[in-house]
Amino acid sequence: MSGEPVFFGVRHLSPAGAFHLRRLLDDVRPQLVLVEAPADLEPLLPDIVRSGTQPPIAMLAYTREPPVRSLLYPLAEYSPEYQAMLWAREHNVPCRFMDLPSDVFLALSTGDGIEEEPGDEAGEEDCAEEAAGERKTPDETGPDGESGADTAGTTGNRPDGKDEREAHELFWERVLEHAADGESYRLGAAAYGKQLRLREETENRGARHEHAEARIREAHMRRVIGQALAAGVPAERMVVVTGAYHLEGLRNVPPLTDAELKALPRRAAACTLMPYTSYRLSSRSGYGAGAKAPAYSSLIWQGLHRQEPRWHARAYLARVARFQRQEGHPVSTADVIEAVRLADALALLRGSAVPALPDLRDAAITCLGGGSLARISRAVADTEIGTLMGTLPERVSRTSLQDDFDRSLRDLKLERFRTPVEQGLTLDLRENRRVKSAKSAFLGLRRSFFLHRLRVLGISFAMLRDGSTGRDEGWNLRWTPETEIELVERSLTGNSIRQAVAAHFRQTLDEAGSPAAVAAVIEEAFSCGMSTELHRAAAALQAVSIEATELGDLAATADRLSFVLRFGDVRRMDTRPLEPLLQQIFLRCCLLLSAACDCDDKAAEPILSAMDSLDGVARAHAFLPEEFWLRALDDEAERDEGNACLSGLAAAILLERGKMPDDRLQRLVRRRLSPGMPVDRGAGWFAGLVRRNRHALMGCLSLWEDLAQYVDSLDDEEFKRALLVLRRALADFSAGEKNGIAENLAEIWGLGGAQTSEVLNAALSGEAEEMLQDIESFNFDDL
Amino acid sequence: MQQPSDVQRLPAEQMFRAELEALTAAETRPVPTGWRMSPWSVRTYICGGRVGDVEITPKYMGNERLVEIAIATLLTDRALLLAGEPGTAKSWLSEHLCAAINGDSTRVIQGTAGTTEEQIRYSWNYALLIAEGPSERAMLKSPVYRAMEDGAVARFEEISRCAGEVQDALISLLSEKRVSVPELHLDVPARKGFSLIATANTRDKGVNDMSSALKRRFNIVVLPAPASLEAEMRIVQSRVAQLTSHLDLNAALPAEDIVRKVCTIFRELRAGRTLDGSQKLKPTSGVLSTAEAISLLAGSMSLAGSFGDGTVGDIDLAAALQGAVIKEDDKDSLAWKEYLENVMKKRGEGWFGLYAACRELLP
Repeated sequence: MSGEPVFFGVRHLSPAGAFHLRRLLDDVRPQLVLVEAPADLEPLLPDIVRSGTQPPIAMLAYTREPPVRSLLYPLAEYSPEYQAMLWAREHNVPCRFMDLPSDVFLALSTGDGIEEEPGDEAGEEDCAEEAAGERKTPDETGPDGESGADTAGTTGNRPDGKDEREAHELFWERVLEHAADGESYRLGAAAYGKQLRLREETENRGARHEHAEARIREAHMRRVIGQALAAGVPAERMVVVTGAYHLEGLRNVPPLTDAELKALPRRAAACTLMPYTSYRLSSRSGYGAGAKAPAYSSLIWQGLHRQEPRWHARAYLARVARFQRQEGHPVSTADVIEAVRLADALALLRGSAVPALPDLRDAAITCLGGGSLARISRAVADTEIGTLMGTLPERVSRTSLQDDFDRSLRDLKLERFRTPVEQGLTLDLRENRRVKSAKSAFLGLRRSFFLHRLRVLGISFAMLRDGSTGRDEGWNLRWTPETEIELVERSLTGNSIRQAVAAHFRQTLDEAGSPAAVAAVIEEAFSCGMSTELHRAAAALQAVSIEATELGDLAATADRLSFVLRFGDVRRMDTRPLEPLLQQIFLRCCLLLSAACDCDDKAAEPILSAMDSLDGVARAHAFLPEEFWLRALDDEAERDEGNACLSGLAAAILLERGKMPDDRLQRLVRRRLSPGMPVDRGAGWFAGLVRRNRHALMGCLSLWEDLAQYVDSLDDEEFKRALLVLRRALADFSAGEKNGIAENLAEIWGLGGAQTSEVLNAALSGEAEEMLQDIESFNFDDL
Repeated sequence: MQQPSDVQRLPAEQMFRAELEALTAAETRPVPTGWRMSPWSVRTYICGGRVGDVEITPKYMGNERLVEIAIATLLTDRALLLAGEPGTAKSWLSEHLCAAINGDSTRVIQGTAGTTEEQIRYSWNYALLIAEGPSERAMLKSPVYRAMEDGAVARFEEISRCAGEVQDALISLLSEKRVSVPELHLDVPARKGFSLIATANTRDKGVNDMSSALKRRFNIVVLPAPASLEAEMRIVQSRVAQLTSHLDLNAALPAEDIVRKVCTIFRELRAGRTLDGSQKLKPTSGVLSTAEAISLLAGSMSLAGSFGDGTVGDIDLAAALQGAVIKEDDKDSLAWKEYLENVMKKRGEGWFGLYAACRELLP
């Protein structure tokens, strides 16, 4: 081949690369610009460089059929590729994409990861998906070796992997982002790429699959270059923009032949442009090493244009300071000056003339944050990552999320609901044993998962009707244009409905503060059939609940968990990890019970229901440490200092469980209803006791004997108070139960049962009503 | 020089004299005015390394970045405030920084509730003052005053223990960088190289908050607890060995297993979650610092040596642990109980002895 085109090796999100590339383009004045991006995405080019387009944006290629795989090519303002495309348009020079077409790419990447199926409970873990996403687009993530190193680290969050990535990042910034001129950048990047490649070969890092894939891609790029040369573009007037890693390959790998290209697998794919956010660009949301700090890179980009090598440092620190001031924390200009000086000194100590990100952050923490990152963490996040969101010109752009929605409707036979008329749908979640395939046997369940996911995302297509149970669900479905808009909005958080829901859960979890809020997420994740998120929420619940001391809240949480555990089978979810969690919360409830029982009657209300639900939980699950619960109840039943009503309820529960022998009950009743006990406490205890298992109590004659004796022993004033409490205690007894009590008492007083009952159940006379009113308004505090 | 062996503790510059001399001798990089060695050598002295054939032992085993920030701060002539929980090697680091930079770590003011402003600036020898009137001879210069004269680094330990108004005496010294003695019509400017390293506790009781005016004059570096279990074990093991070599305890150094257990428990309760991050825990009110772990192990050794068989076992440990963890009230006791039941009990066989011993001691 005659001569070699002008290669420019870059890192895909590198401000210095973009800057120097533009200068190079100005110098070379090429007739053709080749960019490393899938060849079949070239139709997107006019829209990318259109004047209404504002990066960050991303090119997205995705398979049309499940399992869904997608490739994402984010472009920031300072992406060398983006600047190359812009330059080409500005100078009316053709620009072409030369990388392997995305349909081949998607078919090649058979590794695990991004794959997912609607209703597939064993869906891959989310971060694995994203990691795989990175892996598939190794070239945007970095001059590629980075992502090579990364791939090795994706299997687990090994700390050394992270350190190594940070070291790479820092090295790149110190040496290349702040390189003195274009030529040194170009040579440096080339050397860097070469070393990465060498290291990969010698240490055999990264999977073989990746190596092979990289070679195929290089061969394809080589082929496009060859075609261009053959078409008569002189080599010295052609600029090739590619990841630094590929430079060696582009020189040495033989071009792909027609036959080879034909032999490559393909999968039908579609592509689109989507607005991107700086948050998604940053590694914090799971996207690899390339753009750890998009907003900071932007500052470097601006600094380069101002021709001031340290502008970015001052801008960074000034921005952190401004953010702090806006948030109401005083930061003086003197502090910023000190921070700039410290950053310079740190850079010097670490062997560099220009401060890099870690220097700046350390300086900001020390001088602006009083030594603590937590104090300025939001300012730092805002300055490093930013909240920029890209925009695309007005036009129909179909997102993968919309496609996923359509596909799911088809797959779940829900297409007839795609009308603006509301229709009802009732689902039976249990297995349908009359059909053959597993897919249709669980159709109801899969539909339920899908609809719940839409509901969680706030997509107004599906509304859950009230009165749905653990086994059956009623839905109202209705399609509106808003549905599409909501889908597009949601497409920013994920490429499929599943991913979007996962992102939603992540965010809710981050914001949730109380155990009940996290338990709500657990329940939602359970409804949506997302076990990964369920387990993540479970871990979060463990973290949140540790600080919780509110028995009512914890008991409600335990109740929710218990519900999920009981219906786990219906939804075919693995809920076992929740068991130890429930165990812990239950244990804490047992430990907290005694303290919670020291309260007045008003505060006792939630504790009463908490005890009821805890007892239910304790019975429902054999793995819970029941002895703790029984012991706590035991203590409470015996304790005279706590709330009387709660103590009574404790005794009632023990009685119901057969842990309260008759003689002990009798002893307790006598003590509680003895004259030494204040009247409202005695009656309150009784009220607690009769909250449960009334039939057993009804049959226990001695109890009523004691009560009768007790009532007899009261004087008039005390009787009024006791009457009030006892009347309340017995208020929600049914007529039949009241009859039973009447019979008991009649027996004791030696009256006829029927007669007494008549009196009890008769409507109150006017006089009695008045008396009761008096008592109701009676203020005990005056006594 | 001969080292008097009956001195309980030598200042850093004498203890590590050989290392300091080797570093100064091998210096090749530019040395800032008033410093004895370059910032890079200071870093090597603190973080360890090798100069020629002299092995430099690491003095601070922790985040090297923080050490760099500290050194860079002193380079910019800003005062340095080392903050952090008790037992995170604040004073240790400040002493070694001074030893490396000036070869003298003894210009110290110890902050207490009784520290007065005179102790920060200067005071008088009253006998001389009355006999001769104000003169330089009658003046008692504070360590800060001397540091200014010499262009050296002074240390201020436990600054937050001083009353607020006494702390504020530093403000003018640090911003004007001069001390004036009106009695003698004297105005002493600080020479180049002067700086101040203060240490402050963030968690102790009975400390005074520093005014924000003073805080603004410092670069604050917060020293964290050791980052990983292995790092902490290393620190604990080496310090326990150093500490107990001077004392006759008749007990063997605790086995690695024991150190691991103590460090694990301390780290978990301190961070409020298990090491694998899977469970959150109730934190305790006591400060479970590395220093506390060191003294706990030394205490257990003394217990085992005096009343036991000379090796630290679960029983020696359990008593010390409970004492360290349950400092305040029922809250700590609840947290400890939960920890025993939820975490330690489930750790398996290796932990069972300790669990049983701890359980036994519970009320």
